[in-house]
Amino acid sequence: MPPLNAPEEGVPAAGLASWQQDNSSTSYASYAPNMLSELPELGPLPETPTSSPPAPGPLLSPPASFMRTTRPRRFSNISISSVAATVGSETQSACVGSTRDLTGRSPVLLINYQELQYESEVDKSLECPICRTPFHAPITTKPCGHTFCSECLLRAHQLRPVCPIDRRPLDVERDFCKARVIHDQLDRLRVKCPSQGCGHVCARELLAVHYERYCEYTPVLCPDNSCDLWIARQDAAPDKGCLHKYTPCQYCSKQVMKAGLEEHYDRECSGNTVKCAQCDSSVVQHRMENHVANDCPSTVVLCKWNKYGCGKSAPRHDVQAHEKKPCIYQAIGRLAQDREDDRLIISELKVRLSAAEGRLRVAEQEKTERRERKRRQAGNTNNTMPPFVPDLNLSNSPRAAASYNNGTLDSPEDYMLAQFERMETQMEDLRKNIHELDGLHSMRLLNDTMRLNEQIAELGSKVGVIGMHTTWLMNVQRQSRGQQRAGGVVGSPLSSLASSSGGPGTTNSATGSVTNAARNAPDNEGGRYYNSSLPLRRNSDGRGENPPRL
Amino acid sequence: MASQKRIAKELADCTTHAPAGMSIALATDSDVHKWHVTLDGPAESIYSGGKFGLVVTLPPEYPFKAPVVTFATRIYHPNVTNDNVGSICLGLLKAENWKPASKLLSVLQAVRLLLVEPQPDDPLESRIADEYRRDRAEFDKNARAYVQRYAKGPVKFDGTNVGADAGAAGGSGKRSTG
Repeated sequence: MPPLNAPEEGVPAAGLASWQQDNSSTSYASYAPNMLSELPELGPLPETPTSSPPAPGPLLSPPASFMRTTRPRRFSNISISSVAATVGSETQSACVGSTRDLTGRSPVLLINYQELQYESEVDKSLECPICRTPFHAPITTKPCGHTFCSECLLRAHQLRPVCPIDRRPLDVERDFCKARVIHDQLDRLRVKCPSQGCGHVCARELLAVHYERYCEYTPVLCPDNSCDLWIARQDAAPDKGCLHKYTPCQYCSKQVMKAGLEEHYDRECSGNTVKCAQCDSSVVQHRMENHVANDCPSTVVLCKWNKYGCGKSAPRHDVQAHEKKPCIYQAIGRLAQDREDDRLIISELKVRLSAAEGRLRVAEQEKTERRERKRRQAGNTNNTMPPFVPDLNLSNSPRAAASYNNGTLDSPEDYMLAQFERMETQMEDLRKNIHELDGLHSMRLLNDTMRLNEQIAELGSKVGVIGMHTTWLMNVQRQSRGQQRAGGVVGSPLSSLASSSGGPGTTNSATGSVTNAARNAPDNEGGRYYNSSLPLRRNSDGRGENPPRL
Repeated sequence: MASQKRIAKELADCTTHAPAGMSIALATDSDVHKWHVTLDGPAESIYSGGKFGLVVTLPPEYPFKAPVVTFATRIYHPNVTNDNVGSICLGLLKAENWKPASKLLSVLQAVRLLLVEPQPDDPLESRIADEYRRDRAEFDKNARAYVQRYAKGPVKFDGTNVGADAGAAGGSGKRSTG
């Protein structure tokens, strides 16, 4: 038989340490604060009677601090395993130890997630194959896809760096990743509070907050600084002192811890029962009052319908039989009770209705106020066009600031809103003005340019006319010169002029005579030619235009 | 802590789906780390008719360390030491083979299977293994004699019905580390 030696090989210590730190920050730290942050609202801390109240500090304190639990703690009611883990003692203490604040005092015992009781049966697929409990802070291995609790996997990995299922080599840095889907699924599981005596059931993600802040039964450190034991939060009042001191039981001679006194009376102590004077049963002494009021069958009590008219008054067992028979007043009693219940409901509804109405009124008032304010501001801005100075600064807008200070606006938000609205109306006005100006400008521009355009067109036409006159005159001149050169051939200018006036189809010689005559004539005679409107043409020129009129 | 819950589940698992001929109980009610298993010799093996006591000890580090299974009743078997310790050579339980995810039910089934089919190639008692290989008739005779001698009557787990003649076997000198 080979000895069972712990195979420590293969895990480099440094790597492991780094993982543990890494793990603490990835799994525990990020898991726990996530839970906290997902809570809708965390009310103020309940008044915890401990001398060092568990402020949120320890909850959010770096998990490294609870990895370093040094003092072993003991609590009689909580089954802290006495596993003296030689392997992975750090991870061990991480789950059995406690959170600590900076002073070194640990407010509460940590939740051991593997010991939790679930409200309903948890699906087998959500159980860690190592601890066989629903995963806590699950990690999935990347190469083979197996999922384990982070704590279980790390411990197994510490022993041998392989997958605990198929022995595939695993590397802490590379092959582990958080199983978020499963984690979310697990967070929704409903669990019972692990504190003894507390019956609270909640979603698992909310458990930490309940347990560490609100649960009255959570074991907290004894308020006595010299005491190392745990005590339920409700008993940990500083004025009560340390309840872990032994005191003799007042009924028997046994030495009992104060904290466990009640339990002692109920279970062990034999000298504390007394006989009930009426029913012969033996009852724990300090429960006698309760017994007489609720249980004792011989005590004379009234029928429970006595309010509705039944006058029966007898020992409890008789009355119980009478009530069961049933009492004739039961019908009317029930009716009356129902009515009372209804009345209660109605009054509650009335209160709610009035509250709702009040809220509605307030809301409407606010609405009208706001509308009023808006209108007033709109009027203000319309009447006086504000100068183009951006008064974003509060000090730059004395009017608004004054109104704020005078209390016409209720809150800075309202003030800012009003300011904003005012700015908006101003912007609107500015925009309108700009549009108007724009239109004006374009109109003016159009008017001016139209006149100029007309003048330019006129000038252009005049220049054209002048140009034509010039060419006409030059042509006339050229022709007359040509005629002078061939002067002998041509007849007298006057006869040719007369013949040419007969029709438009004049020959070159005829026109030549005309131009000749024009050249001979003095300047004032030229005007006569213009006014005579004779169509004088020269076919060789190709210009079929009359000289234009000016 | 962790192991308590797991052990409780394993125990429930083993008792509800116990392998044929096995009954499981805790050695003491307060300690879940020690189990007493009574195993009827499998009918298909030479050990049929005998009642063998097995002690399953779960280390505090369970499930990270393998459980220890020993025979409280002496048995003539190549893979079980022939002394009053009764250590078993089972591959599943070797430190290097143990996986935290292994179930105790499969361990118990493996032990039962070992009685049906001894593994002479991986022996603890090499003399018995040799005999098993070479002279099966002699082995069968010896084994039956051991059953007659030790495995009849009520099973005792305190070691009083073992080791009456511890020297009869080959002794620890011949033991291999299988």
